[in-house]
Amino acid sequence: MKGKLALAALGAGLLGLLGAGASSLWGPAPALAHKAKHSQEQLDAFQQVLMEQVRLGDLLFHGDADTEKQMNIKLSNTGMACAMCHPFASDSHPHEFPKFQEQMNAFATLRDMINWCIEKPNEGVKIDPDGPAMKALEAYIYWANRGSKLDTGRH
Amino acid sequence: MEPREVDLDPRQVAMEIDTGGRPDGSLAITRRLFINKAILAGTAAGVASVGWFPVINTLDLAFGQQAAFKFAWLSDTHLYPKDVNTRFVDKTVRAVKEIKAMSPPADFLIFGGDLAQLGDPVEIDLGADILKELTIKKHFIPGEHDWYLDMGAKWERMFGKTPWTFDHNGVRFIGLNTVGFAPDYWSAKKMSPKERMGHMATLDGSVAGPWAGVGDEQRQWLQQTVSGWAKDRPLVVFTHTPLYEYYPPWNFWTRDWREVNEILKPFSNVTNIHGHTHQVLYNELGSMRSIGMLATSWPWPYAPQGVPPLTKPMIRADPGDHFDGVGYSKLTAGAAGRIENEYVMWGRKEVFAESVVDSGTADNVNQILHPRIADRMWPY
Repeated sequence: MKGKLALAALGAGLLGLLGAGASSLWGPAPALAHKAKHSQEQLDAFQQVLMEQVRLGDLLFHGDADTEKQMNIKLSNTGMACAMCHPFASDSHPHEFPKFQEQMNAFATLRDMINWCIEKPNEGVKIDPDGPAMKALEAYIYWANRGSKLDTGRH
Repeated sequence: MEPREVDLDPRQVAMEIDTGGRPDGSLAITRRLFINKAILAGTAAGVASVGWFPVINTLDLAFGQQAAFKFAWLSDTHLYPKDVNTRFVDKTVRAVKEIKAMSPPADFLIFGGDLAQLGDPVEIDLGADILKELTIKKHFIPGEHDWYLDMGAKWERMFGKTPWTFDHNGVRFIGLNTVGFAPDYWSAKKMSPKERMGHMATLDGSVAGPWAGVGDEQRQWLQQTVSGWAKDRPLVVFTHTPLYEYYPPWNFWTRDWREVNEILKPFSNVTNIHGHTHQVLYNELGSMRSIGMLATSWPWPYAPQGVPPLTKPMIRADPGDHFDGVGYSKLTAGAAGRIENEYVMWGRKEVFAESVVDSGTADNVNQILHPRIADRMWPY
């Protein structure tokens, strides 16, 4: 409950900050960016958006059943969670994608690899590659590997 | 929303728990030349690719003219109830069958901990049932996954207490409990036994803290147990966690390893065999060698720092093959006074990486990692 309230307050605050309250026939109007000097409050809000996604992704990555249920996904049917092979998201190598991925015999993105792990080793149900669970997982994996050297295509 | 300040470094916390403090530079890791099978066979390729690293850890334990014998190590089966996962059951059954078929037979089995995944009595009973197939003598040390649901009650009822010791053909074997002495992280937070177990079962979690340790009482027992043993006779010490500092954030260590090493330092032939890390590892600390064993369940990646320089890394496992990168060990104490460790990794002739591109450590050269945050935020 406390988390939901915090999220709602954050959302309202962000809308105000970003001036994105108006909408048109084509959906929400785009927010204007970089037109004025950024305030610390704005920067903090940007960071909070990221960290909320990281938190969600961290929980999913570590097999939190409540978070999976809330997002209506099933990442594993073996009892295994992502973190059991990838503590601290190690060996997930987000900085090496996209690349030819041997297991798939295909050129793959990180999102392709996440879904491969869900479907094959974890025997779970693949998730929408553009959906909220994928974005959260991707956020956590990138965040945990921040500072790694970009090395696209490395095997 | 912001994560709290990162908790204390596990090593700092451990200093408060134990009396030892941080390691210093006096405990030098020494390089020893090992005779390995590739060099003995005189294969130029073997020498070139292996150098002075051991392919098979050939340990020259001098134990006189005693007869040769074999023993087996099995650990980290991480069994779930059968209705959750039969994969780990299949692999444990396979290991037991293969150990049973060893020729010449193993004199005894060491089960090195983490029989269960969540300490569930169903899991422990399942493991005991599978291990019943092995009629040789079995000796057990616990893992943290076996312990923190009921604080070891079920484990000790089934498999007896630790520490223990026995002598076999001139070698003194010792089994320690390095998992049962965690600082209390559960009472203040009013955790249920399942919550306590859940945090302990998360390798990269930050809640359970520096739980791996031998503790004062057990160290005193160890001191007494080795006191009458000749300094040049072989000692083999079994622990779930490594008896040195590899990577504390994942408890790839035993927090009072320095004090344990002080007790074992006078002995010239000490071998520590450990589980928990689910990977090929080799280290030396003075006269003590440590060998890390494979799991049957799944391989952990090498930690981002601290892999001992004497370790020749294992191959990169195929995540699509759950029999890859895992297995058990056959150990032989030879009449010539040597103990050999043979990793049995299913489906692999070559356990050790022979090139950078296939190495379990070299693929992580550009990787920088950061601890998780979700378990440091409300409501945890």
